[in-house]
Amino acid sequence: MKEFNIVIAGVGGQGTLLAAEVLGTAALKEGMNVRVSEIHGMAQRGGAVTSEVRLGDAVLSPTVPDGQADILLGFEPLETLRNLRYASEKTLVIVSDERIPPTELSAKNQPYPSIDEIIKKIHCFTKNAQVVDTRRLTEKAGSSLVQNTVLLGALAANGKLPLEKQSLVEALRELIPTRHVETNVKAFELGYDYAINLNAKRL
Amino acid sequence: MPDPRLLLEENPGKRMLLLGNEAIVRAILEAGISVVTTYPGTPASEIGDSMSAIAKEAGVYMEYSTNEMVAVEVAAGAANCGVRALSAMKHVGLNVAADMVMTLAYTGVRGGYVIVTADDPECFSSQNEQDNRFYALLSSLPCMEPSNPQEAKDMVISAVEISEKLELPVLLRTTTRVNHVRGPVTYGRLAKATEKGKFTREVARLVMVPAYSRPAHTVLLKKLEKAADISEKSPYNVVTKKERSSEYGVISSGAAYNYAVEAARLLGLKASVLKLGMTHPLPKKKIAKFLKENSKIIIVEELEPYLEMQIKAIAKDHAPNVQIYGKTGKQYFPRDGELSVKTVLMGLSSIAGKASPIDFSKIAKKYSDMVKELPRRPPILCAGCPHRASFYVIRRAGGDKTIYATDIGCYALGIAPPLKVGDLLVCMGASIGAAQGISKALQEAAIAIIGDSTFFHAGIPGLINAVYNNHKAVVIVLDNLTTAMTGHQPHPGTGVAGMRHQTERVFIEKVARGCGVEYVKVLDPFKIKKAEKALREALQRNGPSVIVFRSPCTLMVARERRRKGIAIRPYRITDACKNCMACVRTLGCPALTVEDGKVHISDILCSACGLCASVCPYHAIEGEASA
Repeated sequence: MKEFNIVIAGVGGQGTLLAAEVLGTAALKEGMNVRVSEIHGMAQRGGAVTSEVRLGDAVLSPTVPDGQADILLGFEPLETLRNLRYASEKTLVIVSDERIPPTELSAKNQPYPSIDEIIKKIHCFTKNAQVVDTRRLTEKAGSSLVQNTVLLGALAANGKLPLEKQSLVEALRELIPTRHVETNVKAFELGYDYAINLNAKRL
Repeated sequence: MPDPRLLLEENPGKRMLLLGNEAIVRAILEAGISVVTTYPGTPASEIGDSMSAIAKEAGVYMEYSTNEMVAVEVAAGAANCGVRALSAMKHVGLNVAADMVMTLAYTGVRGGYVIVTADDPECFSSQNEQDNRFYALLSSLPCMEPSNPQEAKDMVISAVEISEKLELPVLLRTTTRVNHVRGPVTYGRLAKATEKGKFTREVARLVMVPAYSRPAHTVLLKKLEKAADISEKSPYNVVTKKERSSEYGVISSGAAYNYAVEAARLLGLKASVLKLGMTHPLPKKKIAKFLKENSKIIIVEELEPYLEMQIKAIAKDHAPNVQIYGKTGKQYFPRDGELSVKTVLMGLSSIAGKASPIDFSKIAKKYSDMVKELPRRPPILCAGCPHRASFYVIRRAGGDKTIYATDIGCYALGIAPPLKVGDLLVCMGASIGAAQGISKALQEAAIAIIGDSTFFHAGIPGLINAVYNNHKAVVIVLDNLTTAMTGHQPHPGTGVAGMRHQTERVFIEKVARGCGVEYVKVLDPFKIKKAEKALREALQRNGPSVIVFRSPCTLMVARERRRKGIAIRPYRITDACKNCMACVRTLGCPALTVEDGKVHISDILCSACGLCASVCPYHAIEGEASA
């Protein structure tokens, strides 16, 4: 594998950093070279955040050039749109339906765009887009804080990711505090099954 | 990393996914460093945080110093007793420490001493993007620049050795894309830190009065010559790629090297590559040889043309006919912002006259066509942040007319509407002095807004000045009992120290009174009426005053509640709501959203601070404030 690029987009506090670290740790378990880039500090306070994960022997740069994402994992619909510059027709976009309206919308009394409008815009870049019903799945998992692992599960179910499900689960178990591990593994499996069913329906 | 204690494992040869900052902590343990000092600042903060978590177990002394200057003083004191030391700070922290560093270069050190300066190209979390490699030139100290976490670890260990060989502090200049990048790092052997040092009196060397400074400068220049030899032989200054064609040669350092190699590969540019890891002093002979071997030299570096200026000087003496492409003549690479594969690819493509394989302008056009007018999502004060209450009060008492000098910390976010508090922000502690000048020039009271940690860091001399020169400045200290923006580090006002033990708590109000301020009040900003009254009084005074708005950071409170299993009961909007939008318009709280013209409170984001209930004119917001 020459290189494989994952861009994770979301809002500070949603757990994008952990998701990126899980992917990086799983890659290392499989003996791959990896770079994960994060933004801390000022950017975290409820602002737009992007983490990038790059896999491959020749990878040096921690950031992904425009149009070069193999996967765009959106934790929030608007933030997914904001990061479409990374996408091309080859990109798989996985987007959570969990909306976090920016305060600007409330202040200006403007509506949040519908999920159909969002998908339409994503389709201008790639036809390969999946919406994950994370709110329902996190409720089922029993915690509102496991959106990131639901999405990782959905990502793992997709044949495109060059990482084994097993390594991702192992990485999760290592990185998450013991008392939250089972809820997170459950959330991961729920996301995984959800995406498997979605893909089966499509076939 | 799940637990910083994993950094303590002996296990040489083990590969771990480490953040650049964690790799630096591992290096501290492998280099046998005894004393680590820091003041938190992005992107360096996790060096202190990871170190603080394991310091006791590792047998390393670690402290959060009051500011970077003190951090260097403490570490240099220790290093002059022969123990190894390291200080970590963000780039602008080195400005604070510069007075000490410049002359410490003259005295030198006995134990190895490394100063990590973490630069922030692109200002992800900083007020400027200065290039601290120039501090190496200015001070004559050696400088090393890693490109990734593994190199960050290796270079700290080498820097300690070089420091002891030269008896000079060594700068390790990192950038955000090294500090905050995770990559594979292979563990080496752990070394035991020296427990106790020894001070040998040597007045001529360590006491910098003019008679001793003059010869010390000569000594420093001699050391610099030795450093140049080390740089010539350094394995970090290396040709990483040798092409048979003698046309293009790329010279690069730090994070820029990663972009340069990938961009050249994407473009299919056949170029030899000289990677510089020790960038002060430069390996002149090695560079001269590279200039002679290649006819077109491309210099790829982030921010200032630091390498380029020096390489051009080398070229003048050794390879006058070589063509040099960078950013001092025609600008092939930007001098501002961080570089990327994209910006370097565009530069290389223009130099080589070869089309880029990625059509970035096409992508940019498509993106701007499709994604135009996306609502912005800048960082904002968290729901429940006590600063929001303070700003609400400040705005009510000070109105639009008062000028607000603000400072470095989360509360800089107060400039956003609807709070809009903050008219001037420059550097740590500047609010207090600036407010005095503003009040003098406008002949009316001005307000300084400063955080608790920032007050201790650089606010106190300014406050003494306000008393001494009797300025009409109202100094508002937003005391959330932590250094919030950088990740909740303790500070002198918290009663906790770097080794995680309880210590004497320094009270801001006592400091203020001790400095001679007469009007000093400590208030809870959520008690908005009382807080506003005190601030109005302060604004009427003819001299300086200090108001401490004290309420803990909401993130810290939430974490504590989660740990104890205490549920947060979010506030609710009742039927009495007339949708007047007063709460939304005055507070800008992210938990307050408007859907279909109606106000909602997000039960996920609401932290039950109750500020919205206090400002609602119809008493239509209910809940129990959970203090």
